[in-house]
Amino acid sequence: MGDGPAPLNLLLVEDSPADVFLVREAMETEGLPFRLVLAEDGEAAMQVLNRVDAETEPAPHVLLVDLNVPRRDGIQVLERARRSPVCGGIPVIVISSSDSPADRQRAFALGASEYFRKPSTLDEFMQLGRIVRMVACPAKTSAV
Amino acid sequence: MRARLEQAEETIRAIHAGEVDAVVVEGPRGPQVYTLQSADHPYRVLVERMHEGTVTLDKDGLILYSNPQFAALLGVAGDSVTGSSLQKYLDRADGKLFAELMEAAGIRGYSSGDVSLCSAEGAPIPVRLSLTTLDTDDLKCVSVLVTDLRELVRNEAIMKEEQLSRLILDQAGEGVVVIDPEGIILRRSESAKTLAGGSVTLDQFDRVFPLMVSGKRLSARDIIAAVRGDEPLRGLEASMAHAEGNTSALLVSASPLWSRPNELLGCVITLTDITDLKRAEVVLFRQAQELARSNSDLRQFAYSASHDLREPLRQLAVFSELIQKKFAAELGEEGGGLIQHAVDAAHRMEKLLQDLLAYIQAADAPQQASPNTDANDVVRKVLANFEARIAETGARIQCDTLPVLGVHEVHLVQLFQNLIGNALKYRSEAAPEIHVAAEPAQDVWKLSVRDNGIGIGADYQKQIFGLFQRLHGGGRYSGSGIGLAICQKIVQRYDCKIWVESELGHGAKFCFTLPGGQS
Repeated sequence: MGDGPAPLNLLLVEDSPADVFLVREAMETEGLPFRLVLAEDGEAAMQVLNRVDAETEPAPHVLLVDLNVPRRDGIQVLERARRSPVCGGIPVIVISSSDSPADRQRAFALGASEYFRKPSTLDEFMQLGRIVRMVACPAKTSAV
Repeated sequence: MRARLEQAEETIRAIHAGEVDAVVVEGPRGPQVYTLQSADHPYRVLVERMHEGTVTLDKDGLILYSNPQFAALLGVAGDSVTGSSLQKYLDRADGKLFAELMEAAGIRGYSSGDVSLCSAEGAPIPVRLSLTTLDTDDLKCVSVLVTDLRELVRNEAIMKEEQLSRLILDQAGEGVVVIDPEGIILRRSESAKTLAGGSVTLDQFDRVFPLMVSGKRLSARDIIAAVRGDEPLRGLEASMAHAEGNTSALLVSASPLWSRPNELLGCVITLTDITDLKRAEVVLFRQAQELARSNSDLRQFAYSASHDLREPLRQLAVFSELIQKKFAAELGEEGGGLIQHAVDAAHRMEKLLQDLLAYIQAADAPQQASPNTDANDVVRKVLANFEARIAETGARIQCDTLPVLGVHEVHLVQLFQNLIGNALKYRSEAAPEIHVAAEPAQDVWKLSVRDNGIGIGADYQKQIFGLFQRLHGGGRYSGSGIGLAICQKIVQRYDCKIWVESELGHGAKFCFTLPGGQS
C-alpha cells in the first residue's frame, strides 16, 4: 500500500467473526485500501470512540455498526458517535440482519447514511464495498 | 159427591178460562177471598224491581217479557226487547252454548251458564243465565234470570292481578326490595329475604343490606336521592358483607315509585347476586391472561427461532458461495455442483423461515384501530412487484373496480401478493390470464382471483390452506407451502373466510370475504 492512496479508516462494530470476514472480503473485492479497527461489542466500540476523542487513536472515516451486538447495542454506539467532537459527522452504515421497518427508521433517525441488510448471497454481500466507497467519497475529498 | 166433583172441575175450568175473578174459601177464621190480582201482584212487583234482569222466552227463544233491568243492562229501551230473539243480544260465540242451555232446560227443567251479552255500545257484558222451564197446559215457556257478572269478574281480575304481583315479587330470581322514602322495607322478594338471611320487612334497609360501592357506603338515602333526581340506578356493582363473614357481589338497580307526580312513595331496589359470576370472571380473566401470555411466549419463541435460525443459514449460504468462488479450480465442476446444492438448500430453508415468520406475524394487529384500505391501490402495488414475472410469462391481468375494505393494508398486500403470485406460478402451458373481481355479499365483500392455470383437484381444495401443505415437488413449482396458510390466517383475523373453486386442469378461482371500509 505504501505509495498508494491513504487507506480508509473503518471502525467496524460486529460480533460475528464470519461477518467480519465478509466485510473484509467486500472491501478487498471493491479494491479500496482500508485499515479496519474492530470492536466486538458495544462497550469496546465506546472505548475506541473515547480514544478517538482523546486523539490517541486516528478518527475513522466510516463507521460500520451491527445493531445487534453484546453489552451496548448498536443504537447506543451510534448515539455516542454522534456526540463525538472528532468524528460526530462521519458517515455511518448500519449493518443488520433485521429487515424490520422499525429498526431501519431508528437507524436513519440517528443519522445513518445507509442501512445494509445482511444478504444471503455472496454477490449481494460484496455490494457493501461499493456502498462504503460511495459514502466515504465526500469524506475522502475533504480529507485530501 | 159427584155433584161436588163436577162443581170443582167447573171451577178449575173457569179459572183456566179466565172467567173467575175471585175464589172464596172457607177457613178457620171464616170465609177468605182470594183474587188473582192479590196473588200475582207481589210477584210482578218483585220481578219488575229485582236487581237482576229477567226475561221470559217462548220455546224458540223469542222474548215474551223482559223486566226493565234487562233492557237497562243492554242499554236499550224497555219495550224494544219484547218480540226479539234473545240470541240477538248474545255474543255470537255464545250462540251454541245458549242453544244447549235451552235444550237442557227443556229436558231437565232448568239450566245455567255464563255468556256475554252485547250492549248497545258494543261492549261485552259477562252474565250468568239461569233458565227455568215454565210448563203450563197451553204454553211452554222459559224464564231466564240474567245476573250481571261484571263486578264479580272485575273483582276476580283484581284478585288475580294482586296474586300475580305477589307471586312475581315472591318468586323473582333477583332480590327485590321496596322501601319507603325513609328507607323502611315495605315489601321484599323471597330471594331478598334469603340474601339478607332472615325476615326483613319493616326493618331498616341500611341495617339489613349494608352495601358498599368502591369502598364507600351506599345507603337507602343515597338510593332515594338518586331516583328522586330522575337518575335511576342501573347495574351499580356493590358488595355486601354478611354476618357469617362472607361477602356477596351484587348488582344494584333502583327505580322510583311515584303515586302522583311529585309524590314519591318510595323505590324499588333490585339486588342481583353476581358472586358466582364474579368468581367465574376472575378465573376466566386469569385464564385469558395466562393464554395471552402463553400465546405471546409462543409467538416470541417462533419469531426468535425463525429469526435467529436465519443468521447461521445466511452465513452458510454465503460461505458456501465463497468456497465455490475461491476454490473453483480445486473443486472442479463436480465439486462446484455439490456446493451449489448446499447453497440452494440453505436458500430454500431461508425462504421457509422467512415465510414462517410472515405466518406468525400475519394475524398480529398493526396499531391502526379501524383500518381503511383501497383494494385498487393494493392490487396496483402488487402488480408492480410482479412486473418482471408478468412480462416474462406474457400474463394478461384484468382487474375490476375494487372496493375500499376495512382491513390493514399490510394484510391486503399479503393476500393479493400470495394469490396473484400463485396464479402466475401455477400456470399451464398457456400464458396466464388472471381476473381480480369483487362483489358485495351480505355485510361483507367477496373478492376473487381467478386464473387459467393448472387447477386443484377436489381432494386437495381444503388441504392447500394448511401450513406447509404443498401439492407439487420443488422442481417446477417451488414454494414453502405457507402462502395460503398466511392468507387463511389473515381473513380469519377479520372473521371472514377463504376458499377455492377449481377443477384439475381448468384453472382456479380463489375467493375470500373481507369487511367493507369507508370510502
